[in-house]
Amino acid sequence: MPEFLDRFAPSTRVLHWLVAIPVLILMLTGLTNFWPEAKTLHLGGARIFAWLHVLLGLGFAVALLPSLLAIFSRRAARRDARELLLVRLDDYLWLQHRALRAAGLRSIAPRVGKFNAGQKVNAALATTAIIVLIGTGVVLGVNFWNKNVFDVDLVAAVFRWHTVLSLLLLPLIVGHLYMAALNPETRESLRGMTSGRVRRAWAERHHDAWAERAREASRRGAGPDRR
Amino acid sequence: MSDEPRPPPGESGAPRSRRLLSRARFLGLLAGGAALGALSTRVFGLVDGWRENTVEDGRPVFDRATYRLTVDGLVARPLSLDYDSLRSLPAVRQVSDFHCVEGWRVPNVRWDGVRFQSLAELVGPLPDARYVTFHSLGGVYRDSLSLTQARLPGVLIAYDLDGAPLSRVRGAPARLVMPRMFGYKGPKWLTRVEFRDRQDLGYWEQRGWRVDAWIRSSG
Ligand code: HEM
Repeated sequence: MPEFLDRFAPSTRVLHWLVAIPVLILMLTGLTNFWPEAKTLHLGGARIFAWLHVLLGLGFAVALLPSLLAIFSRRAARRDARELLLVRLDDYLWLQHRALRAAGLRSIAPRVGKFNAGQKVNAALATTAIIVLIGTGVVLGVNFWNKNVFDVDLVAAVFRWHTVLSLLLLPLIVGHLYMAALNPETRESLRGMTSGRVRRAWAERHHDAWAERAREASRRGAGPDRR
Repeated sequence: MSDEPRPPPGESGAPRSRRLLSRARFLGLLAGGAALGALSTRVFGLVDGWRENTVEDGRPVFDRATYRLTVDGLVARPLSLDYDSLRSLPAVRQVSDFHCVEGWRVPNVRWDGVRFQSLAELVGPLPDARYVTFHSLGGVYRDSLSLTQARLPGVLIAYDLDGAPLSRVRGAPARLVMPRMFGYKGPKWLTRVEFRDRQDLGYWEQRGWRVDAWIRSSG
């Protein structure tokens, strides 16, 4: 029995970090807007954090589409994305199981594939939030350079959505970071996103259906692309 | 996050309570709900309320005993008003949207205060007076308008916001309100109105921002 199972191929890992790092920096630089001492820090007439945010935001918005096309030319990334966004009956059962357990009732855990329903819900919400943030962000970015392109009331409405979505995304990111880096039960998953492999024992506890498939594939000597 | 349905620690063997909500859980939910309620009003404040922008070293303190609003420069009858005299000048109430250059807006702000135009009539600008500079108490921030802009009907020296005296954060005791331009044209903690023959560049205009910060609005 292998000690480790291959979990994420390079294309999936590149996809993850390509989104995660800019979004995290955008969140941090954006949040400075709620901190009066930081938001007005300026070099000449340029508010430092706002500039960083807008430059990174526009760069991210422009680079994202071609990068996604390149990454999704890889089978592994496509399969992981599909698996992450696909809803199965077991996902409902998993959520029900967690709710019953949270209420102190007994319930039998359904089998879990590569991603559990919690990860899927998180992924769907975060993806939606990020798409809307980029869309609204581009309008705000254009307005940042030229105040005469859009009507102020339109800008105000867009700004409001940008704020609302970033505040909805924030707890998702915090929860995600906690699960990936701190929570002893789940933080093994971070290894999957860095080195590409996870401990088999952990995978069998948290993603039993997937672990079975992965074990089978590794016996056949297939890489993570094959499953 | 193990999914084995194992008995909770300390209860193994003992028959488990099947009540959906134990008292502790109920109290916990209640406390959680209250915390969430408190948090959500904070969050709504972040989304829809005022934001604070200042370049002063801390927020200037308004001392009612020593405060003066000085109106001077190229005028026939310079004035120095204490807080009560400012409040006893003929006042107007005005409702206008406030737009920050950053993109946020506070709709339907109710201001009470003195029209710039009334103040100008009191002091009598000299023929050379073409611009006005508005100075903050902290001594760092100031901004300016042309006399023509300042005389537009919506321009106020405001001391009440939504029916209450301005708070320290919002610029107590008075601020300039120019609804047709972005907020940076309206200094808070206003202490001096200076009539000039040439335009004095404001804090941000010295750093490249637009002098005439007209708002592009269809409304
Ligand atoms: C996807 C990740 C993003 C996150 C998490 C994010 C987060 C934020 C946050 C929290 C704020 C402060 C909102 C407020 O003050 O109410 C903000 C403001 C802003 N964002 Fe983003 N943002 C993102 C993407 C973008 C993009 C792609 C752009 C495009 C350029 C952008 C442009 C702006 C602009 C112009 C502002 C206003 C800055 C200012 O003048 O203070 N954002 N963002």
